[in-house]
Amino acid sequence: MAQQHGIIVLFDVENALRTRSLDGNTYWFDNMKFLGSTGVGTEHLETIVPGTYFLDGSQATEQVLNWLPAALGSIPPTVPRNYLAEQGRAEERRTLDELAALNTEGGVNEADVKRLQEQVGTYAEDPGGRGFTAAKVLDVTGKATSSSDAYNYPAPVITDITGQAVAEKIIYPAQYGSPDMVYDGWYWAATVDTSRPGVYPYTLHVQLHELVKRNGELVWESVDLTCESSLKIITDPKRNGFTGAGLGVLPLPPVPAPAG
Amino acid sequence: MPPRARQPQRRPARPVTITAVVDPVAALASENLDDNLYLYDTNRAAGSTGFGTPGLRSLVRKGDTLLWNVLPLECETYVSLTGIEIDPQIAEPVRKVYPGTDIAFWTAEVKQDITEPVPYRLSFLLGTVSTPFTPTARPTLAGPAPEGR
Repeated sequence: MAQQHGIIVLFDVENALRTRSLDGNTYWFDNMKFLGSTGVGTEHLETIVPGTYFLDGSQATEQVLNWLPAALGSIPPTVPRNYLAEQGRAEERRTLDELAALNTEGGVNEADVKRLQEQVGTYAEDPGGRGFTAAKVLDVTGKATSSSDAYNYPAPVITDITGQAVAEKIIYPAQYGSPDMVYDGWYWAATVDTSRPGVYPYTLHVQLHELVKRNGELVWESVDLTCESSLKIITDPKRNGFTGAGLGVLPLPPVPAPAG
Repeated sequence: MPPRARQPQRRPARPVTITAVVDPVAALASENLDDNLYLYDTNRAAGSTGFGTPGLRSLVRKGDTLLWNVLPLECETYVSLTGIEIDPQIAEPVRKVYPGTDIAFWTAEVKQDITEPVPYRLSFLLGTVSTPFTPTARPTLAGPAPEGR
């Protein structure tokens, strides 16, 4: 199987929306610190990409990169796919049940109705962003809310990857559909040409979403911003993460260790 | 018609979220969580520091709601926050789950204004190892700098 680099970008969406800039509001990670990536966890990640051969000279597959965006202070991407939509529906069913229960008891208390109104929450319209579905507004703990101060920021959406690494044909990025359970069906990936070592910057184009009130309605407004990172392509051989060498037998014990 | 008097109610607002980014594979391989734990919060504009280290210093005030959650760098390896040890006079974190899932977060209210920084301890379960990992470095909660300093 091809070895894949995951490049995770954590966005401080609240700060980014306030300053209308991603400067200082992104934190980058990859899982290749052991191969020599630097700046992991900061704004200045340099992702290492070794050559496409192993220590013994045998051919390795070309390097694949995957970009995965996440919003700081939001419901984490580890919840099931479609969680926001499912949770919105679950809240509605619960409210309908409670509404029915109110009816049967005859007298309806105004405070109860008000409480249910709040529980119903709000739907926000999407006036034409990309790759983004209109849905019920949830807060950061998964409950319905109608407050524009408490809503959960949707995951940022990558809309393009450009820059020197792309212009010089070092990477060939594209967006793919995916049955991935973690990210919402779409992701950006690229393969890397490792024949020309060097440091190549690239630009990530990102769309954030802000909930704003327009004509009395809550709508998602898209905000397009960019941020930069870079790849460092080296001629060292690829290493197997388990053995430090090439392909071959993994260092597993021949029999399971006896239960202690 | 005269404008209606504004209700003096507390508007719902986002909690101060403290997110632990964990590289579980590297932590398990090296048996060292300190080098593979990156803490962030949503209060940088208020003056939090130590971003991207296990020694995050979060700036908080009395009455703030805090929320701790986890972002694993590898979605196929289990990571969870299993405990938060902190002076109960400052905060008493409780474990909750996102409704309809078994994915946990912890939440607490800051009970008093903080004068001296309060260190606390986070514990994580990684992979199938049954003993929790606790980083040596401690994150802290801190109050705003006192007047006149």
